Amino acid sequence: MKLYQIVVKDVTRRKKRMLYASLGVIIGVATIVAVLTIGLAGETNIYGQLEKYGANLVVMPAISDIDVGLGGLSLGTLAVGENYISEDNLPQVRQIADGMIKEALGIEDDSDIATIAPRLYMGAEIKGTSVIVVGVDPQQERQLKTWWRIREGEYLEHADQALGGAIAADLLQLSVGDKVALNGMEVTIAGILEETGSDDDYQVFVPIETAQQAFEKEGLVSSIDVRALCSACPTSDIAGSINGNIPGVQAVAVRQIAETEMGMMDKVNRFLLALAGITLAVGCFGVVNTMLSSVHERIKDIGIMRAVGASRNQVIKIFLYEAIIIGVAGGLLGYVVGTLLAYVVGPLILDGVPVSYVPEYFFPALALATVMAVIATVYPAFRASRIKVADSFRSL
Amino acid sequence: MLEIKTISKVYGEGPAKVVALNSVSLLVNKGDFMAIMGPSGSGKSTLLNVIGGLDHLSSGEVLLDGERIDNLDENALVDIRRGKIAYVFQQYHLIPSLTALENVLLPLTFCEADHRDQKALDILERVGLERRAEHKPSQLSGGEQQRVAIARALVNDPSLILADEPTGNMDRKTGNEILALFNELNREGRSIVMVTHDPEIAGHAKALVLLQDGQIVDRISQEGGNKP
Repeated sequence: MKLYQIVVKDVTRRKKRMLYASLGVIIGVATIVAVLTIGLAGETNIYGQLEKYGANLVVMPAISDIDVGLGGLSLGTLAVGENYISEDNLPQVRQIADGMIKEALGIEDDSDIATIAPRLYMGAEIKGTSVIVVGVDPQQERQLKTWWRIREGEYLEHADQALGGAIAADLLQLSVGDKVALNGMEVTIAGILEETGSDDDYQVFVPIETAQQAFEKEGLVSSIDVRALCSACPTSDIAGSINGNIPGVQAVAVRQIAETEMGMMDKVNRFLLALAGITLAVGCFGVVNTMLSSVHERIKDIGIMRAVGASRNQVIKIFLYEAIIIGVAGGLLGYVVGTLLAYVVGPLILDGVPVSYVPEYFFPALALATVMAVIATVYPAFRASRIKVADSFRSL
Repeated sequence: MLEIKTISKVYGEGPAKVVALNSVSLLVNKGDFMAIMGPSGSGKSTLLNVIGGLDHLSSGEVLLDGERIDNLDENALVDIRRGKIAYVFQQYHLIPSLTALENVLLPLTFCEADHRDQKALDILERVGLERRAEHKPSQLSGGEQQRVAIARALVNDPSLILADEPTGNMDRKTGNEILALFNELNREGRSIVMVTHDPEIAGHAKALVLLQDGQIVDRISQEGGNKP
């Protein structure tokens, strides 16, 4: 028989008591796991939206307020004004983007890598209602917006076709085959998109040349979206290089914008973590308390052990082993409770964003709980080790 | 082997002061079976506690095999409890979560030396409880629990056994069985000091010391001691 076996036997006999002792640990760890899990879900959600909604990089005219909406994130305001970029810049943007991506990934190949989607935003009236008409490069736009699904009809094939966003099509009562006039130029509705939940739903898309002709903006684009489908792509560097080499444009890496948003999340997260830390500290005192009363309850047992040859260190060890058991049990339950809490509370805080459990938090949660339980037990264990045998029997 | 020189034990201070032991001197030789008898409150349990280093002295000296043990530090006292002196209590004082066998193994566990369960099983057999090895204390009768406690005391092979009212919670028949066991241990050469308030129980010992108000009032050598 070993010392720890004595502890295990004792602990299994007093399961309820141990659970009660673990409560402080469970609450502390659960709060921290919940905060971290929800925080991570929020972060994943933002990055996920960035992944889904388009570009890594947006090139805009140097002076402008173009609204580039990325999913739920507003990344600026749009003023459809007279500020445009010359189409002539497109090859240079591609050259810079492809060049730097190839360099970063070590690719030696002449093919195009980045998706470069120019857009021309124009205000127009269709059937008496004003709507934003977006000139797009059909092929590049399709590559960029992989989530686009055609509800009716087909995708843009010819110059005289238009594609309706779901809500725009409903509002304007457009259907496939309808002919509408854009600033006097007639186009046919080729298809209607399914709802995407983004600004696309309110817009009407035409091939960019058609838009340029109809609105007399030959050779001009409002913005260029650049998408490099790799996580290691040096988007910030590409943006910097574009800004340095092409006059009159302003390139912004979307991740940079996102990071501002993240910074906010981060502050909130840190505040919540601090609160969770306080919970943990309070939980610690709870453990100290329960352990002290556990020492008191077991004065007799401790006296017996001392009388039959236990040293002070062995008494301390017995309590520390117990603390480890409490810590592991508390960490386990704390992780489970915290994760469940995140599942319940997360969607309420993050507007329905789904929360998923984070296995990476499991072992740190166990470690945290164990360290906490051990620290909380140091003083009670010390007290237990000072118990005098004669006193312990007298107190009966 | 055990020499007690004018020891005193005082609890509390000032007007609340209680003198539990007052200049008690005593000699326990190897192979003795001594009963300390007295009414409750006479200081007999205190005497037993200070003899074994479970409680501190106010003054005086306790020598075990010629060496002082009253001023030893905790670690040295632990060594004595692990080897030379063992206790048997009125309340048995078994650990309720452990089986009879595990309770007997407890002192060996604290010694952290290599040991086999067989040693504890042999001792349990010796006290007649080999069939009860896997029972918890709550499943054992008082007499059986005291046998387990005695087995636990024997497992480290002590030369001195201190017993505090070992039969106090038992009927006469069971008490006599326990005393027979003590007699047997005594015949093996172990010294036994037993506290009791029962003259009949005390009659089993070879020597009798009468304690009253913290002082020894009489010492009787009993030739008829160790009667079966």
